[in-house]
Amino acid sequence: MSADHQQYDELAVGWALHALEPADEAEFARHLPGCARCAGIVAETTEVMGAMAADLPQAEPSEALGARLREAVAATEQVHRPTAPREVAAPPAVPAVVPAPRRARALPLALAAAAVAAVLGLGIWNIGLRSEQAELSSTVAEQQDVVDALLSPDRVELDPLGADGRPVATVVPRDGDIEVVTHGLSVNDATSTTYVVWGVGDDGAKPLGTFDVEQSQTELRTVGSGLTGLDDYPQYAISLEPGREAPSDPTEVVATGQVTS
Amino acid sequence: MGAVTSPARRPDDAAGDADVMRRIRAGDRTAVDDLYARFRRPAFALARRILADDALAEDVLQEVFLSVWRDPAAFDRARGSVASWLLAVVHHKAVDSVRREESQRRRQAQAEDEMALDAPTATRDVEDDAWSRVVAEQVRTAMGVLSAPQREALTLAYYGGYTQREVAALTGTPLGTVKTRMLTGMRRLKQELGGPGGAGALGDVWPAEGRQ
Repeated sequence: MSADHQQYDELAVGWALHALEPADEAEFARHLPGCARCAGIVAETTEVMGAMAADLPQAEPSEALGARLREAVAATEQVHRPTAPREVAAPPAVPAVVPAPRRARALPLALAAAAVAAVLGLGIWNIGLRSEQAELSSTVAEQQDVVDALLSPDRVELDPLGADGRPVATVVPRDGDIEVVTHGLSVNDATSTTYVVWGVGDDGAKPLGTFDVEQSQTELRTVGSGLTGLDDYPQYAISLEPGREAPSDPTEVVATGQVTS
Repeated sequence: MGAVTSPARRPDDAAGDADVMRRIRAGDRTAVDDLYARFRRPAFALARRILADDALAEDVLQEVFLSVWRDPAAFDRARGSVASWLLAVVHHKAVDSVRREESQRRRQAQAEDEMALDAPTATRDVEDDAWSRVVAEQVRTAMGVLSAPQREALTLAYYGGYTQREVAALTGTPLGTVKTRMLTGMRRLKQELGGPGGAGALGDVWPAEGRQ
């Protein structure tokens, strides 16, 4: 996939350098959440940038700045964000990191997204910011993508197995890959387990891609690449697997859903 | 990531940095003073390099350290060392500030400096200790391995705060070429600084070629 991914490799470096044009930035903000490779490149570029800062004449800020900072800290309360519980029952908070002057722009979409989530019975709505750099453009782009996925006519909602209740994930098969929105799957241990998306047809189940759930908030990610024949599956399933690779058959299926359209 | 890097700082500082972040998360206001003591110099050096203005650079520092106090969990959502993360936030806010504040004329003048100085040295305002000289030397050597166009593209973006399109315009190069130069230049720097097996100044989180 290296050749196909070259464009994103380039965007990842530009993103870390905060040097992308707005259109590229918006595109990459949509891509990044589902791509471990890009997250790695961003992290590594950030480390190199840190080293580049070493090659600068060291300089002292004025003493007044230290005092000014202490006063500001004394007058400022911390943002309290509950650390992602496994089961989220509480109503969501609007992402709190969005800088105040921009919140007015972010809010309408967040509310629209929350309304969509309510209509679909998802119960929770909160997209966490992934990094300081993600900030607004990323949040808005992610919210827009989640809304698009949740409203896609091709969506398949997956219900938890062996329990009633609302869907825990929505998958949208596309050309070549699958978008997965999780809205109730438990956080998995990404060092020793992985979730796997399966296409279930007459010939049994076929693994289509793997993903991790990092937070109990709603998350969108793109899974698999170069997938074909997605139109042929009447059913999709998600399993939780030991290890980091998809096995040939699912071990513990946690949710399934029928294609309705 | 097993990162050892910290700009101009000793490897054993990383554990101390993490401890300071834990205290900030626990609501200890004095820990912000400690974080500031650890990072004010590299942070200020970077911000004033980008902004070419001490007062604006101090505003950026205040904004950054205050934002870390307000929302220390932002660090958990990133990957990597406290030092790299914090300096990336400083870089980001300084670039935002320069794009907001600075007149085109000053930008233009600075661009010329930027290109004249592709491996910045200059006199030191503060006497550096031996360790920071070692790190700076490593970085300078690594930068020296890049091709001149790669070095120019990364220098303009990182130290100058220019977007890829601005870099293309300043250097008379197609945008696509600039993007490729930044990627290949970064890969090269990573290689030089990381050393074989990630044993050097950097840890090893760069995805291997061909890996998912």
